[in-house]
Amino acid sequence: MVVLVAAACGGGGPVGAGPSDLSAQAPGKDVKPAAKITWWHAMSGVNNDAVNRIVDGFNKSQTNIKVEAIFQGNYDDLLAKLNTAIASNSAPALVQVYDIGQAYMRDGGQIVPMQAFIDRDKFDTKDFEPAVLNYYKFQDKLQSMPFNSSSAILYYNKDAFKEAGLDPEKPPATFTEVADAAKKLTKKDAGGQVSRYGFGPSIYGWLFEQLLATSGAPYADKGNGRDDRATKVLWNSDAAKKILSWWKAGVDGGYFYNPGIDNDGAANAFNAQKTAMYIESTARLRGHINTVAGKFQIGTGLYPRPDDKPKDGGNIIGGASLYIMKSRPADEQQAAWEFVKYVLSPAVQAQWQSDTGYYPIVKAAYNEGPSKEWASKYPQFLTAVNEIRDSPQNRATNGAVLGVMPQARQRTQKMIEVVLLGQATVDAAADAAVNDINAQIDKYNKANP
Amino acid sequence: MRHLPNYVVLVIVALLVAFPLLLALSYSLMSESEIATFPPPVLPQAPSLDNYATVFSTIPIGRYLLNSFVVAGAVVAGQIVTASLAAYAFSFLTYPGRTLLFFAFLSTLMIPWEATIIPNYITIRSIGWLDTYQGLAVPFMATAFGTFLLRQGFLQIPKELHDAARIDGASSFRFFRSIVVPLSRPALATVAIYAFLSTYNQYFWPLLITNQPLMRTTQVGIAQLRFEETLRWGLVMAGVVMVAAPTLALLIVGQRQLIRGLTSGAVKG
Amino acid sequence: MSHGGRPLLVGLAYLAPSLILFAAFVFIPLGRTFYLSFFNTRSTGAPTSFAGLDNYLELLTSEAFRTGIVATVLFTLYTVPLGIALGLVLAVLLDAPLRAIGVFRTIMSSTIAVSAAVGSLIWLLLFNPSLGLLNHMLSLVGIAGPQWLIQPQTAILAVSVTTIWLTLGTNVIVLLAGLQGVPQEIYEAARLDGARGLRMFTRITVPMVSPSLFFLLVVDTIAVLQAFTQIHVMTRGGPVDTTRVLVYSIYLDAFQNFQFGFASAQAVILFVIVLALTVIQFRVVERRVHYQ
Repeated sequence: MVVLVAAACGGGGPVGAGPSDLSAQAPGKDVKPAAKITWWHAMSGVNNDAVNRIVDGFNKSQTNIKVEAIFQGNYDDLLAKLNTAIASNSAPALVQVYDIGQAYMRDGGQIVPMQAFIDRDKFDTKDFEPAVLNYYKFQDKLQSMPFNSSSAILYYNKDAFKEAGLDPEKPPATFTEVADAAKKLTKKDAGGQVSRYGFGPSIYGWLFEQLLATSGAPYADKGNGRDDRATKVLWNSDAAKKILSWWKAGVDGGYFYNPGIDNDGAANAFNAQKTAMYIESTARLRGHINTVAGKFQIGTGLYPRPDDKPKDGGNIIGGASLYIMKSRPADEQQAAWEFVKYVLSPAVQAQWQSDTGYYPIVKAAYNEGPSKEWASKYPQFLTAVNEIRDSPQNRATNGAVLGVMPQARQRTQKMIEVVLLGQATVDAAADAAVNDINAQIDKYNKANP
Repeated sequence: MRHLPNYVVLVIVALLVAFPLLLALSYSLMSESEIATFPPPVLPQAPSLDNYATVFSTIPIGRYLLNSFVVAGAVVAGQIVTASLAAYAFSFLTYPGRTLLFFAFLSTLMIPWEATIIPNYITIRSIGWLDTYQGLAVPFMATAFGTFLLRQGFLQIPKELHDAARIDGASSFRFFRSIVVPLSRPALATVAIYAFLSTYNQYFWPLLITNQPLMRTTQVGIAQLRFEETLRWGLVMAGVVMVAAPTLALLIVGQRQLIRGLTSGAVKG
Repeated sequence: MSHGGRPLLVGLAYLAPSLILFAAFVFIPLGRTFYLSFFNTRSTGAPTSFAGLDNYLELLTSEAFRTGIVATVLFTLYTVPLGIALGLVLAVLLDAPLRAIGVFRTIMSSTIAVSAAVGSLIWLLLFNPSLGLLNHMLSLVGIAGPQWLIQPQTAILAVSVTTIWLTLGTNVIVLLAGLQGVPQEIYEAARLDGARGLRMFTRITVPMVSPSLFFLLVVDTIAVLQAFTQIHVMTRGGPVDTTRVLVYSIYLDAFQNFQFGFASAQAVILFVIVLALTVIQFRVVERRVHYQ
């Protein structure tokens, strides 16, 4: 079945999707791993320390392979540098690329899919979080190994809830509930200026993708680009328009705050109690708790979804994953796989979670000490865990795969801006955005046969 | 006392211009919790150097500063030499095609950086200059900006001086070395300052051609203080202050050079 | 001795160091970019098929390109004249032989020590609609500040203000050096002729520093047309593409969308625009520059 689909579409790229066992793409089992490999990543600050901790742990645990981790700027800069390195044949063995770089990595034919190693070694992935794995699969084959995974939740100010007469233990869960709560939470000062808004989401493409997912609606066609290369996006579906209308009503009504595309600004507004609720990544949880430092109690709730709570609705995983590069010799690929296996061990996963706040990929990690400590220190995180566990696994919640994902994300942001500024109706804005990106998709598919 | 109004105006304007930097300094002394309040704070309640300590423990700032200084210094030396020679050719020498060549020089300023950065990476890589000071410095040792600036300055030097030197039998180069250069100290100092600072402040090129942590430069360091998932303003501002401080110090010294060059009657007789 | 050849060789000898470096690191890459602009390219930048003028045609007929030109023009108009004028005002203030003037000179040229990335970060903080100091201070005097970086009308102004501040240091230094090259005798003579204040300023000061003014006009225009970092940090080309100037559009196409052929065509067009503008400036404006 898979073979037919691939053939009909003129091949699924150099990687191909022919055989159901990809072992042949990995180096032979007896290939001796290289003595030294390089790993490019985008983790800075405390996350950088956490990365170094993992690498030091690995290097100390055995004497065959030495991994060198190099920080290469943020995700965008790292990808630009990687692209340049590929062009001049100086790519590293292992590289961390953000979620929306999936299609680019795969379509470029530059990677050895993780599935190849998994098939070759009959590596057991039963204990892996399905949601996390599913995001990085194409035609059900795992392309890269998830590394730092997060999802999106609702953050809210429990003190503000109490003040407004809302139950601090029952955060709103649907669009209407959020709007109603926001209306109650908005308050004005003596001069008539709003001193606190009820809800303050930033205009971030990823948040829109999540809203589509909780609506059970796909972002693009062809199974969200996972069954085959997408040919168009579906932002003019009813579900999408409902989202836009809800958002617009809130801003127009004066109870939603609009921080624009400034994600840090939105986070800051929440910390400074300028907004009482907002939506963002789970990875920000610890940062919030540390910055707020007890000034108010932070609550976490499920990500908002349509009022009819579609059964297909759930959340998508975000973050970044690790890719093994095909241009490196077999021994380096082997070494990279050895390192990846180490990273997946429960103890390392638990420590990684504790150091950074990202989800562990393997469920066994939750039984380890550092993970338990984390859970007791940040009980709010439980919401996030359950949210992902409870999300049904389907194409909508797997997330979209598009070669032009970075442009698409930007275009959805422009679409939302246009709607919120009142420059066009929801229908017109959605149609315009869809047309723009469909043209880009065409161009991409032609340029990358 | 007569000058009091002048001083008042100067102080007000100085405060306005310096305000963003003063704010950075102020925020660098605050905790994250304090920064995230509304209305936004101006002065720290309990100033602390914690952020600075964190900068030291997060990135090898000392090494980055050293690298930036070395590379910037090399670029300054290179630019002074190439730009003054070229500016001389554009002011005192005449030859066919001079205007065209001058525009060719200026055109280098007009080329978007994206058009050159990747081919340059490939070039530097193929001659083995990745992770080296030369790789960081050499591509920037010629400057159309500096050439242009010096050309404007050289054009101000009276023709009579040139004629007199020629009558005395001095070669072109001698005239250049003994008359033109010494008379242009303020302009040369300006080129030096500008060359230093623009090299010091580069981000994308050092990011692209360096992998070794020990070869990286200050702006890459600041990027490492900006985390993918949260923005810690206090920490970033501490990094900003530490990186800007040496250049501000240099500017103070550079200012004095400018004045010294003048008071010794160098420019106009 | 008067062969056309010898002076040319002499001239080239002086220009050689610069020319060699430019050839290697500017002209040859430019050539490659020009070449790539006629091709379709893969994500890694490798050309796949000849596209002829397709990239150019697609660009010139696209609305995004038109928006980009408008944004670029507005950005330049808002930033360059005001930046130079402010620089001149400050330089005049700083030209006075007062005690401790060195301190003020350092402060007012200090923005040159701040990288674009750093300056943009600080101004991003200042422009934040509700948490930034700017709006807070405006509210203290009863003005409701706009949502600077969110509203299409004000975003380009905000980026402009940031750029003016960043280039203030350069402008002040260059103009101060220019002012200090003006001999005192000229001022004395003018004063004897009865010139004062504004008249002195327009009749004497401005013409005497016109070489520096012209220099800044050319250089600042070129720099503003290439200004990338501020937009990347503060607005990412938004809101609704109002700050998506050409150089930012090139960045997006080259480094985010990995469409090198298309980006190369834009780079060539931008280069031509800047070149044309500079030629015009030289032809039209340099005539009025007073060289001593």
